[in-house]
Amino acid sequence: MLTRLKNGHVVDPANDRDAVGDLFVKDGVVVAPPPSGTAADEEIDCSGLVVMAGAIDIHSHIAGGHVNTARLLLPEYHQAFQARPGLTSLSKVGWTTEETGLRYAEMGFTTVVEPAMAPTAALHAHLELADTPIIDKATLVVLGNDDLLMTMIREGESESAIADYVAWTVSSSRALGVKCINAGGSAAFKENVRKFDFDDVVPDYGVSSRQIVKTLQKAVGDLGIPHPLHVHCNNLGVPGDSSDSIEATIRAAEGDPLHLAHIQFYGYGTEGKRRFSSRGQQLAELVNAAPEVTVDIGQVMFGQTVTISSDELRQFAGRGQASPKKSVIFDHEANGGGVVPMNYKEKSFFNALQWAIGLELFLLIENPAQVFFTTDHPNGAPFTTYPDIFALLMDRGVRQRWLDALPKAVAKMTTLGEIEREYTLNEIATMTRAAPARLLGTTDRGHLGEGAVADIAIYRPGEDKTAMFGKAAYVLKDGELVVKDGSVVKRRYGRALTLRPEADKAMKSRLDRYFDEKYGIPARWLEVPEHAIGRTDPFKVVPCRS
Amino acid sequence: MDIAWIDGKPATREDALQAAAGLIGKSRQPLIAGLRTDVAGLRTAFDLARRCGGVVDHCDSDAVYPLVTALRDSGAFLGAPAEMRRRADKILIVGDRALETGGDLVRWVVEGEPDLGVRTRASKRGIMAIGSNGAASLEGADVTRIACEADDLIDLLGLLRAQLAGHRLGKGPVAEEELGRIAEFLKHAGFGCVIFAPEELGELGTEQLLGLVSDLNAETRFSTVPILAVPDAFGAALYATWSSGYPLRVNLGTEVVQHDPALYAASRQLVGGETDLTIWIDALEGEGNAPASSATSIVLSCEPPSSGDAPAVAFAVAKPGRDHDGVLYEPRFGSFVPVSASSGGEGAASDLPTVATLLEDLTAELGAVAKAA
Repeated sequence: MLTRLKNGHVVDPANDRDAVGDLFVKDGVVVAPPPSGTAADEEIDCSGLVVMAGAIDIHSHIAGGHVNTARLLLPEYHQAFQARPGLTSLSKVGWTTEETGLRYAEMGFTTVVEPAMAPTAALHAHLELADTPIIDKATLVVLGNDDLLMTMIREGESESAIADYVAWTVSSSRALGVKCINAGGSAAFKENVRKFDFDDVVPDYGVSSRQIVKTLQKAVGDLGIPHPLHVHCNNLGVPGDSSDSIEATIRAAEGDPLHLAHIQFYGYGTEGKRRFSSRGQQLAELVNAAPEVTVDIGQVMFGQTVTISSDELRQFAGRGQASPKKSVIFDHEANGGGVVPMNYKEKSFFNALQWAIGLELFLLIENPAQVFFTTDHPNGAPFTTYPDIFALLMDRGVRQRWLDALPKAVAKMTTLGEIEREYTLNEIATMTRAAPARLLGTTDRGHLGEGAVADIAIYRPGEDKTAMFGKAAYVLKDGELVVKDGSVVKRRYGRALTLRPEADKAMKSRLDRYFDEKYGIPARWLEVPEHAIGRTDPFKVVPCRS
Repeated sequence: MDIAWIDGKPATREDALQAAAGLIGKSRQPLIAGLRTDVAGLRTAFDLARRCGGVVDHCDSDAVYPLVTALRDSGAFLGAPAEMRRRADKILIVGDRALETGGDLVRWVVEGEPDLGVRTRASKRGIMAIGSNGAASLEGADVTRIACEADDLIDLLGLLRAQLAGHRLGKGPVAEEELGRIAEFLKHAGFGCVIFAPEELGELGTEQLLGLVSDLNAETRFSTVPILAVPDAFGAALYATWSSGYPLRVNLGTEVVQHDPALYAASRQLVGGETDLTIWIDALEGEGNAPASSATSIVLSCEPPSSGDAPAVAFAVAKPGRDHDGVLYEPRFGSFVPVSASSGGEGAASDLPTVATLLEDLTAELGAVAKAA
């Protein structure tokens, strides 16, 4: 079936397109315009509308054991995660896999990456993703606090052996990339270490955070995994130490690709009488000077949410600020983690400055292909706040109104009020479409060129950017109309995008022995077989670079 | 071989599906329970419940609710059994029930010596058991035993927290010296682990125990391994949480999902006569806890129908891990694991439908019944 999206303002920076015109879709992909005179089977009038590729969220905690624990922990706060009719009894609405898929689709997001899948929780994560409708999904598998990797580094094992271990982990867990969360910090916390810097050494293993990050960065590069190592740095949220840690990590990239997650949480200095200040500008300058580094923001927005992280050390330290006062801390194999509810208050100097630091970073990092749009859902804010963030980036007046409502002391500690930049539609499309697809190596999406999957978001432009991005006029997923006027009209299931790098057979036997002898569990428990997912054709394999 | 029954008499699968769909169509409040099935079965059970407006619970959710309630009231420290096995140098077993209902898992965790961690590896693993039967089933292990009746465990945990916090103590179920021994044992952990059965301690006792572990983490590292008598009920609760937002005991018949741990408990629905039709799923090893009920029932079972009152409609279904591949919750892993048809070791896969297939067909039949009406 040929579908014609007629006369829309097509914003497709990957193909240098930013003009009014038609777009044609056939059999789920974007096709070249047919010869004149060919009638389309279906026509959607896009006059006055903005047509973009479906948006891609590279870092959003939507599935897995920790996410589910957050649901379990907070039956009373599920309202933090979705908009709903005002009269609905909030306590009765859940935050589910179903809602996750529908709410993302309604905003025009068609691919979402769950960024913290423990190898031991891979099947759980994929089962939840399989129940998340409409969107395509992907995962990053977490390494860097695991006994085997640290042992291999300590023993001086070869780079190829380590790469084989990484390949097996990525392949078994059906991940699209590798993440490293407070490298060595969680392992050190199990030894009762309460503070861990980039050059600190994990007791017993004698390896530093730096060594772990560099080793994984090398392995990821050698395997041709398109997405660079995705790093959650040490000392998240600690004024002073956080910005020192991220600076050290950026410098350690040394010219090779590295992605740093939710950097807002590292933009904290110790100046001022409250010993809490913005280092947004310095951090943005560091990123601007390091083109091999990409970052996402982790924007904070106000209201109740919950933090979900495999940075067990950080979550343990943060549990004192839990609101409501309860948290779950996990001591798992390797990373562990924690779930700590959080209420970011507009009237709090600290929370308000966190909000401002996130926006400073968004606006002061010059290249929109280097900075990615995230709230670290739900850690900075639920993803349902995205429309407001688009408005804040695109409209200086909106920013000023928000800023005016904050405690006066905040305005003195941020340069946000002076920043004139307003994101253009083209820059928004770069940041949320073209660049994420390039970063993940998913060349079939993020653009509207011939052959791209027909994941398309069509918006009704207007002064009110929140309204524009909150409810897409139309969304097509694989060429099928799934959203109309901000509501889902067709439920279907997307797929999980995965890599399948080949690991050496000897590594597989070695890992069978390792998990059996050391943990008493079979290695196949860490593997995600296709039959387990229970959906037709659940995976789409993305090639590694040769 | 018969594969379906109507009022106890063998029937074709098609007739039985039609009869079951008819019953569901007439039901004012169906209950989908038992829920002893694999993840694919759980998924279709929830789909069916959404379709027919059902209440959903697991037959043994009583076994997990003390943990669920304590966790969501005040939080928790939770450890993966395999990690505790490698790391814990001090293990405290509280109560008798953990060993009674999950003895294999407890013995698996405590056997051997810790091999991870500078602080833990050097010392021999210390095991202390507080309870009335002296952890008799931990043969061979070097266990320090502290006698305490089940009814006194919560008091003891409270006293222990007070003692560790340096508060003055009143009289309790064990002598002050005994209390001091326990406190010393815990304080000297490099990485400690408490093993307990939430069912035995109840909600408040579980909260007290998790609070003790939270206190201990101020100075050293500690976690817990809760032993659940019916692990698959916990798996069902996890599934229910991501699918409906809540850990079972949900009503999917209203515009938004309703959750009420008392009202929507299967036992209450059955015994209180809230439901007029039960769809009972029983496709795992062992027996589920099925309260007596006068409600009409549709039963899916992997065991042959028992004599006695025949359900209105019954289906024979395959058992995951014996007859077909699937995914089950595995307590040793603390998560879901794939199982394959051969892993049950009971012979060849059968031709029986899986719970998922049967419920999908039943849901489709509901559509046919609705169209015909």
